[in-house]
Amino acid sequence: MPLLEIRNLRRAFYGLDVLRGVDLAVEPGGITGLIGPNGAGKTTLFNVVSGLVPPDAGSIRFDGQDIAGWAPDAVSRRGLVRTFQVARGFPKLSVFQHLMLYGRDQPGESLWQAIVGTRAARDREAELAEQAWATARFLRLDHLIDNPATALSGGQKKLLEIGRALMAAPRLVLLDEPTAGVNPTLQNEIGERLLELPRRGITVLLIEHDMGFIARLCDPVIVMAEGQVLTEGTFDAVRADHRVREAYLGRRAA
Amino acid sequence: MIDIVVQALVNGLVSGTLLAVPAIGFTAMFAVLRFPNFAVSGIATLGAFAGYLAYGAGLQMAGSLVVAFVVAGAAGLLFDEVAHLPMVKQGALPAAIASIASGLVLENLVRLGFGNDPRGYDRPIARDIRLGDIRVSPQQLETMGLALALMLAVFAILAFTRIGKAMRASADNPDLASLKGIRPERIAMIASFAGMGLVGVGGMLLGLDSAIDPLTGTRILLSIFAAAVLGGLGSVPGAVLGAFLIGMAEELSVLAVGSQYRAAVGFVAILAMLTLRPRGLLGERAY
Repeated sequence: MPLLEIRNLRRAFYGLDVLRGVDLAVEPGGITGLIGPNGAGKTTLFNVVSGLVPPDAGSIRFDGQDIAGWAPDAVSRRGLVRTFQVARGFPKLSVFQHLMLYGRDQPGESLWQAIVGTRAARDREAELAEQAWATARFLRLDHLIDNPATALSGGQKKLLEIGRALMAAPRLVLLDEPTAGVNPTLQNEIGERLLELPRRGITVLLIEHDMGFIARLCDPVIVMAEGQVLTEGTFDAVRADHRVREAYLGRRAA
Repeated sequence: MIDIVVQALVNGLVSGTLLAVPAIGFTAMFAVLRFPNFAVSGIATLGAFAGYLAYGAGLQMAGSLVVAFVVAGAAGLLFDEVAHLPMVKQGALPAAIASIASGLVLENLVRLGFGNDPRGYDRPIARDIRLGDIRVSPQQLETMGLALALMLAVFAILAFTRIGKAMRASADNPDLASLKGIRPERIAMIASFAGMGLVGVGGMLLGLDSAIDPLTGTRILLSIFAAAVLGGLGSVPGAVLGAFLIGMAEELSVLAVGSQYRAAVGFVAILAMLTLRPRGLLGERAY
């Protein structure tokens, strides 16, 4: 059974149909790539699935439950977490604080726990701190853990975005261009980290424009164009598909 | 001569403190809602008149300020929901232009109700406190104390409460905040109400010194805007710093070039700031 199954998902902005009946499924345990020319609706799809933008119609089944129209925090708590294309974070918080803030069942979220500070809350807080360190080590951010997020390089900010998502103990992460604008060395590094995730029981769906990166990491690859899924398959099969080339280059050039 | 300058600085300190209140409201709304809300002119006038009515009905000063806050906040929220926020999706500029229209509507609603005649608050007369040749009226001290208390409350709320933290998070990164269950539209409503509430209180505090009329808010609009730009739009401490600087510069300008050029201070400050340091003295920090 697919972990994420989207049926006939529609969303328009000011009369412009951005998602025109998207159907796709993501099987658990792999890294699925989502590609398509600019304006295909990839980020909008992420926004709708993660609850930032409500859909006009359609269903989003995640782990057997329809989450279409849920609030973003409810979607996150269910185990579906996304990152953002522009990794801005909160300028005043450190790396460690970012990670702590997005920890699952963070006791600071309950006013009662924050004031009274029960033993259970302190234990959970300590667990999360442990987890934040482990996540930082996993992403090689541990030497920067007390730095403000604004002091990180572009690539390190992308890593922190991923770390933030991992702290929420997700089953599915949606990564919006995890290596856009990152230098090749760090890009490889990020790729290696991502390959680890399925082994930890985390399924990945990622948007990316770097085809080398997609080829190395993703199977299958889903292609979107003009608000719909065009095709799906292995990277080589998709690359050979003439409809995909038309979508990227226009009919005549292909 | 020194005495006159010191007296001007003291007056500037007083008017800067009062100016800081609406400037905080203006800049906080900008931080969350992402457009300059020029309806502050009309809202400040509305707040001044609401406080005037409450004071005339026998309420104490603090109670009248609460009335000014609530009336101005409610009107600000209404205008944001009906007129400005639908526009802000099209960009900050359409929303800003709509807010100028809202300011005119409010100004003329007040004119419709109260006419053009200036009205005074009828506060009891008291002897000035003298320190050498420097004079401060007890009433100035009272309004200044109220303004300072209000500012401390705003800082405490932003720094320590959940609502304040949610507001700062939403101002810094609304998408990321919403993943944690902070509803941007609810934060926007709180920012509209509280921000315009502060503007209404500011209109009343600044009106207390002289008289109020339908143009009260329009006269202080430029000073509020200049204070916020000077400190860095969106920065609450910046707005306070900017308000003190504008307040003192306005008083000193009266000595230097005469009171008819007082209004030029705001323009010059904005011009200089945008030329030399566009992000403002304290940059943009939500608090």
